[in-house]
Formats: sequence, C-alpha cells, structure tokens
Amino acid sequence: MSQRFARARRKEALLAYAFLFPSFLFLATFTYWPIIRSFWFSLHDVVLGDPEIFWMGAENYMRVLDDALFWKVLANTAFYTLTTIPISILAALLLAVALDRKLRGMAIYRSAFFYPVMIPSVAAGMVWVFLYAPGYGPINAALGAIGLPHLDWLYDSDLALSAIVIMSAWKYSGYFMLILLAALKLVPSDLYEAARLDGVSGVQRLLHITIPLISPTLYFVVVIGILHSYQVFDYVYVMTQGGPADSTNVLTYYIYQNGFQYQDIGYASTVANTLLVFMLGLIGLVALTLGRRVHYLGEK
Amino acid sequence: MDATIAERPSGAGSPPAIKPTRRRSLRSRIASCWLHLVLIPVGLLWISPLAWIVLTSLKTKIEVFDPEAGFLPAALNFANYPATLAVAPFGTYLINSILVTGSILIGQLITITLAAYAFARMEFPFKKILFTLFLLQVMFPIYAIFLTNFVTLHEFGLINTLPAMIVPFVASGYGTFMLRQSFRQVPAELSDAARLDGCGHLEILWHVFLPLVQPTLIAFTIISVVTHWNDYMWPLLVTNSDDVRTLPIGLGLLAKSDSGADWTRLMAGTTIVVSPLLLFFVIFQRRFIDSFMHTGVK
Amino acid sequence: MKSTKSNISRRALLKVGLAAPFVSALPGVISIARAAGPTKLQFMYPVGVSGDINKIISGMIADFNAQHEGIEVEAIYAGSYDNTEQKVITSIGVDTPPALWLPINSALQTFLGLDALEDITEQAKADDIYDDFLPGFLNTCISDDRLYGLPYQPSTPVLYYNKDAFAQAGLEKAPDTWDELLETAKATTLRENGELKRWGLTIGGGWHDWMFEGYCRQNGLVPWQKDKVLFDRPEAVEALQFWFKMVQEGVMPKASTWQGSANDFMAGSTAMLYHSTGSLTNLRTSSPFEVGVAFMPKKKTYGAAQGGGPLMIAKKQSDAKKEAAWTFARWMTNTENQANWSRATGYLAVRKSSWQSPAMQSYLEDVPQAKVALDQSEFAGAFLQVPGYHRVREFLKSALDRTLAGEIEAATALGEANSNANREIARVMRRRKS
Repeated sequence: MSQRFARARRKEALLAYAFLFPSFLFLATFTYWPIIRSFWFSLHDVVLGDPEIFWMGAENYMRVLDDALFWKVLANTAFYTLTTIPISILAALLLAVALDRKLRGMAIYRSAFFYPVMIPSVAAGMVWVFLYAPGYGPINAALGAIGLPHLDWLYDSDLALSAIVIMSAWKYSGYFMLILLAALKLVPSDLYEAARLDGVSGVQRLLHITIPLISPTLYFVVVIGILHSYQVFDYVYVMTQGGPADSTNVLTYYIYQNGFQYQDIGYASTVANTLLVFMLGLIGLVALTLGRRVHYLGEK
Repeated sequence: MDATIAERPSGAGSPPAIKPTRRRSLRSRIASCWLHLVLIPVGLLWISPLAWIVLTSLKTKIEVFDPEAGFLPAALNFANYPATLAVAPFGTYLINSILVTGSILIGQLITITLAAYAFARMEFPFKKILFTLFLLQVMFPIYAIFLTNFVTLHEFGLINTLPAMIVPFVASGYGTFMLRQSFRQVPAELSDAARLDGCGHLEILWHVFLPLVQPTLIAFTIISVVTHWNDYMWPLLVTNSDDVRTLPIGLGLLAKSDSGADWTRLMAGTTIVVSPLLLFFVIFQRRFIDSFMHTGVK
Repeated sequence: MKSTKSNISRRALLKVGLAAPFVSALPGVISIARAAGPTKLQFMYPVGVSGDINKIISGMIADFNAQHEGIEVEAIYAGSYDNTEQKVITSIGVDTPPALWLPINSALQTFLGLDALEDITEQAKADDIYDDFLPGFLNTCISDDRLYGLPYQPSTPVLYYNKDAFAQAGLEKAPDTWDELLETAKATTLRENGELKRWGLTIGGGWHDWMFEGYCRQNGLVPWQKDKVLFDRPEAVEALQFWFKMVQEGVMPKASTWQGSANDFMAGSTAMLYHSTGSLTNLRTSSPFEVGVAFMPKKKTYGAAQGGGPLMIAKKQSDAKKEAAWTFARWMTNTENQANWSRATGYLAVRKSSWQSPAMQSYLEDVPQAKVALDQSEFAGAFLQVPGYHRVREFLKSALDRTLAGEIEAATALGEANSNANREIARVMRRRKS
C-alpha cells in the first residue's frame, strides 16, 4: 500500500518536473546564465566592448559600499516603491470593485482606466513632460484654478520624483485593476448576495468578503508591484535622465548608466547582485508576513 | 507561506431570503447613479492625456505650444499621419510587432500553464526553491542581463532576426506566479471529482482548470501583449535592419533626438501604435464578461 | 561586368588587398576589391534631429549606393547618441563592429581606449580634408595629431531668443556679455501677482554641463585636458556662481530638462534659451513668434564646446571594407551633401566650400540665424574629450544641480566633482595601461 503510494508520488514528481522543463530550459539560458555571469563579472574589471578582463576580487563590492550615489539611488527607489505601490493598488482595488458589475458604459470605463498601460513609455513620458510644464502645463493651470501655487515639478529636485510617482499611478492603476478584475470573476457571487441580504454595508463587504477572497491576487499584485516598481526605468530615462541633482535616479537606471553609458559592466553587475540580495530578503519578508495571511479557495 | 487565517465568510451558509425585487432594483439603480457620478470625472481626468495625444496629432507644429492657439486644433490637420508613416516602413514594423508579440504570447501561455499547474497542484521535492528560482527572472534587473543575452544570441547566430526578440521572453516567472495564484483558487472539489473520474493531470488541467481561470489568462494575455508591443531598448539593441524591426523603434525616430521631439508626428505615431492595442483590448475585455458566465463558478 | 571581375585570381586579389592602404591614399582612386560582389557596409547613426532626417539619410544612402557600384551601405538607425554608442560598443565586444558609425565627438577617447578606430590621417592629408574642413570641427576628431574621423554634423549651443518678448521689454539686441545677459534676463522675466509667467533665461537641462563648458571657455578656461578635468579652477567656480546668481535673482529656473526647455521656449514661457544649433530648424518652424539667434554672451571671450558627431571608421575590418568606408565617409562629407544636410537640419556644414556654395548662400539670406552658429564655432573647441567622459559628465551635472538648488556652495560642489571625476579618469586609464 505505502509502496504504491510512494510510486504514485514519484510519478507525480516526475510529471511535475516535465511540466517545469520547458520554462526551465528558457530560464536557464536567458536568466540563470546571465545571473551566473553577472556574479563572475562583479569580481572583475569588465568593460563593455573590451575582451580583456581583470580580476578584482571584492573591490567592486567595496566600491558599492563607498558609493554615496548608490545609497541615494537606493533611497529614491525605496521612496518610489513605497509610494507608488499603495497608491496604485488602492486605486486599482476601488476601480476593480466599482467596475465588477453590469453598468452602462462599462467597456468605456475599463478602457479609460486601462489605456495608459498601452501607451508606449517613450510617448507617455513625453506627454507628461508637457503636462508638468511649469508655465503652460495643464497641471499647473489646474492648480492655479483652485488657488494653489504653481509648482516646478520636474525642474525641482524635491518634487521631481513625486511627479514620476503620480505619473506611475496613472499608468499602473489600470494594470492592477485588470488583474484584480480577473480575480473578482472567480469569487462566487452567492457570497455577496447573502451578505447583501444580511444587510452588510458596502464597505464591510469589501473588507470582510472581497478582500479576503481575492487575497491570493492581492498578494500577487503586491509582490509584482514591488518587483516592477523597483525596476522603474522608462520614465526616468525619457523624462529626467536621473536629474535634477540625482533626485530621480533609481536603481535600474543606475545599473543601465553604469553598464551601458559608462561601459563599466563589472560595477553594474555588482550593483545588480547587491540588489538581488536585498530583493530576496524583501520578498522573503513579504512572503512570511502577507503570504501567510493569504487564503486560497482551492485549499483548506 | 500559505497558511490560512482568513475564514470563509459565514454569510455563505445562511438560507437565501425571499428576493425583494423592487427594492433591489431601485437600490442598484441609485448605486449605479452614484457610481457614474464618481466615475465620470475620474474617468475624464484619466483620459485627458489621451485626448491631448489625439488632438496634438491633428495640429500643426506651430499650434502645439502656442498659448493663444487653445486646446482644440484650429483645423483638423490629418497630414501628420501620412507624414509619420513616411518616416519609416511602419507596415513592415507592424507585421513584425504582431509576429513578435504573438510568438512570445503563444510560447508563454504554454510554458506558464504547465509550470503554474505543477506549482499549484502537484507535490514534488524542492518545490519552494524552484518557485523562487522562477521568480528570480522578475527580480533581477534586466539591464544587468542584456550583455550576456546579447552575447548568447550572437553565438546562436540570432542577432538581427525576429527570434532574437522572442526567445529571451518565452519563459515567464511573472506569468507562472500569476497563474499559480489562480489555479490555487479553483475549488478543490472540482479537481477531486475529475480525479475520481480517472482523469490524468493533463486532462484535469485542460478540462477543469483552464476554462475556470480564463479571466486570468485573458488578463495575462493583455499584459504580455502590451509589454512586448511597447518594448524599445532590447529590440533596438538586437536588430539592425528595417525588415526585422518593430513599431516602437519607429516611434523612437520621432521622440529620441537631441533637438526636441517632433510633437505632432510623435503623437500621430503614438495614436497609430496604440490603436491596434486599444481595439484588441476592447474586444478582449468583452470576453472578460462572457467568460465567467460560462464557467458556472459565479 | 560582375562575372569578369569575379574571375580575378587569388593572387591578384591578394595584391589588391595589400595595395589597398596605398591606393586609398591617392585621391580619386577608388573602386577596388569588387571581386566578391559588393562590399557591404553597416553604418550606425543616431537621429540627432527628429522628423524627416531618417528619410534624408535613407535618401543619401540610396544615392550613394546607386552611384557606387561595388559598395552597398546599410544604414542602421541606432537611437539617440547614447544608444548608438552603446550599440556600436556592444557589437565591438563580439568582434562584429559596424563599418562606420556616427557617435558624439566626446566619445573619441572611449573608442580609442577600445582600440576600435581606424587612423585616417594619411588618407585625409592626401585628400583636401585638411584644407577644406573648418579646423575647429576637424580638431574634434584629432588625438595626438592623428585624425580618427570626419566631422559630419557639428553643433554648438547658441542663445535663442524670443523677439516678441524682447520687443515687449523694449529690447532690440541680444545680450553680448554676461552682465548684459543678467540685465536682459531681468528685463524679460515676467511675473503677475508674484506668479511667474515667463523666465528670462533657461539653460537646456540634461546637457547643461555642455553649456557650462561654454561658460568656462568664455571665462578663459578649457576645463579639461587629455587625462584630467579642471572643474575646481576659479574661472569655473566664477561661472557657476554667475549661474547661481541668476537663479537667486529669480530670472532662471534651478533646473530643466532637454525636451522641456525647448517646449518652454516655444510656448513663450522663457524669453531666452541655451540649446543646440541642431534645434534651429525645429525651434524656428515650431515657434509662433520670431526666433532670434545670437552668440552665447562672452565674459573674457566668446566660447563654446563643440557638440555633434563625426563619422568614425572601424579598425577591425578588412582593408576592402575600410577603403569602402572611407569612400562613403568622404562622400557624405562632400561639398554638396554637407550643404544639403546643413540646410535640412540646422547642423553646421563642415566644409568651407559648402558655405560658399550658391545654395548655401541663398539659405543664409533666408535664414540669417544659421550664420550665427558658424561664426561662433570659430571660438569653439571639442567637448570634454576625456576617458570615461560619461561618468565625468554625471559628476559635473550633479554638482551644477545641487549648487543651483542651494544645497551646496559652488566651490565645494565643483571641488568634489573635480576629485570624483579625476579619480574616475585615473581608474579608466590605469586599466588601459595594465
């Protein structure tokens, strides 16, 4: 009996590995190999375009610790992540709940909130440079109309990063909304009906039924949100190139600068590896805290 | 990671009362009125950059920044569209964009479905470590792997070909994670029942799980298509000839220059590039609504 | 014709190959090594100016290919200057460099560090390059008296001004000195109820270090040498203090972006703008007012740093390709093509003869602004040609931004940038020697 059980388990494991194999083949070639190389690069002086490579030992890592800009960039990225994620996920959740029903003009609403995701970042960045323009930009015009002072947005080192956060919320809310909408479709509607009939208020339903039931997806959205937003690059690249005064320089941009602009592949790899360690720690933390509170309908 | 603390809402068990139809419809009508009241201004705010894009694409160069010219173009000037299309072979770019995003999507759907099912519903040694390894792809900054992937593709002889823009993205840690979460949401009774009927894993996956997670598959499809449709840096690096290049490179011609952007044509180009996506989205978001109606879950 | 050529014996081919460097030294002697079909050249270029440039380049390439049997050039758009440099260097890394490319002139030392550039001094001397090219432009391609490229689309920053705004302030003439610049900026700054409506002056962000080098040069300092920078010199500090003063007086924003500043000018929210000559055509045709162009005002002298790019030829390729690449570079910079290119873009033509051509003369009559940049280029030198220039630029930009934001004193900021930059240059050079 137990032997048969063991055989069945072995068979299932083999089948599982077979299922993983296609992904693994591509990941090994285009993800793991570069990561391994990146660790090797980080121990050397590697210059883009130059076949010669020199052993450096831990010197690159010492440079990271010593690099004031690296720490500033890390702080910028943390600020960006910690503001963009709550803002856009909250907005997305409200939108998803609002739009998860039969409503006149539903297609228009969904498209209106989702289309920013579709605008190529090059173009989106350019449009927002205009929207933020100090003199004639519509945002300042709107601020002026309600009696608030004009702001210099992208020209002000204290505001530039916040300006990019606002833009990201515009661009990403629809994205998270879509994923959450998909999750809401899986929630059995009889739960709502029952709660509604019991006289449970909308806010209560949201807090006690909807959120627990879509918690796996919320968890997914938070994790993916962190991973995405710490990799923010396009807007910085298009709009500010990290300035003014490095106030919008973020990790991915810094890695790009080092690796491709400065051709210092060794150092870029070192920063990337340092980051990976940070991220593994952070994601581990999220998994241990948020992940434990997740309830899956398919499991008891 | 997966311990459950949220309890099933207790309301589920209470017996359904008699439906007070009149009151409900009135209530839901009030609710939807209230919703429109909130959603319309927010929606308008959201859509205003798009309006600006389209309107600018219809202006003349001088109107764009002239404070006196006003928000609307003085006369609809469609000349920017042919002028944009003349900058680069956009027809070829369009076909390439479709081929590249389509191939990536098909590859991804196959790899992630299999992998996500294994992670969600099968038991095997090293599951957690392997899953973390899958997530590495999303965690590691892309610019740190560009160089090695360029060299790898060069060794495969794939530089300046369509596959160079496809193969690095066929596996998706992101998609695997997303789909795994949905698979775990499928009620266990359903798969147990199928198992008792003697179905193998592949059959259960195909007949039970995939139909149920359609909304997630569609959401992933939309996201994957949008991401790769708009990718700029990687295609720019690995392609040289016009006959393998994609749409964003055409846009780059109008945006990335040291003399300032060519606003009217850039916006016309943006409209051209986004339109197929928007159409695609409008079609698929309808499927969104249809899909749950057939699954019987809701 | 092809069939007869392909019958050439191997030995003959070898001879031709050996002779190529010598043959190529003779002006006008071209078209060799056709034995194996056309010589295919890859040419990577950025789009410095947006719009139809891509079409113009494609058109030029098509003309060239039609006129030159045996050579086939493939033009590869490679993004911005930075993207182009990266794409070329990545290709060099896997030993498949393009035949020639068009980077920004500051990249000279970077490519020399990779031993990637063909020395074209002899061909150029045998040709009319040294006689007919404007020396200021040619100098941007020279390192240790050797020539490594043909200037193709040089630019400098110039002062653009809004003639309407000037008329409103009762001004007619563009400022000629730093002091006048400050006065003019004060006069043209517009505030309504304390709310700013128009800046007097904006210095295009993102490339403001390029403008800053101009300010150093105007103050009598070339802020770099081959192996170090001199940002901490008093002349540089004084220049930055002057910028800070303009910010304090409320006539200039603390920072800006490259795209944004051009928009601001076109929208009339800055009266004066420092931007590239490459933007001339765009600004002129997109502004709803008349655009004036002037020299950047002087302190001790006029001065500017050369931007824009030369055509560079790869060292690691067959002699036949080098020869063909030279033919192509030579053709792209001939009198007529340079005149056309300059008129289409606003970039400066590199040849004296181009400026004297009738087409160019009539263009100057229509667009007298174009002449300003040419005249100013007499006072211009190469831009920051030091090893590792990208990182040096970032150090400097950061110092400028922080000073203007009021976070730090000009002298301290420049001192820091100077030592950081020199450390980086030393690091890059040490690697080269080892």
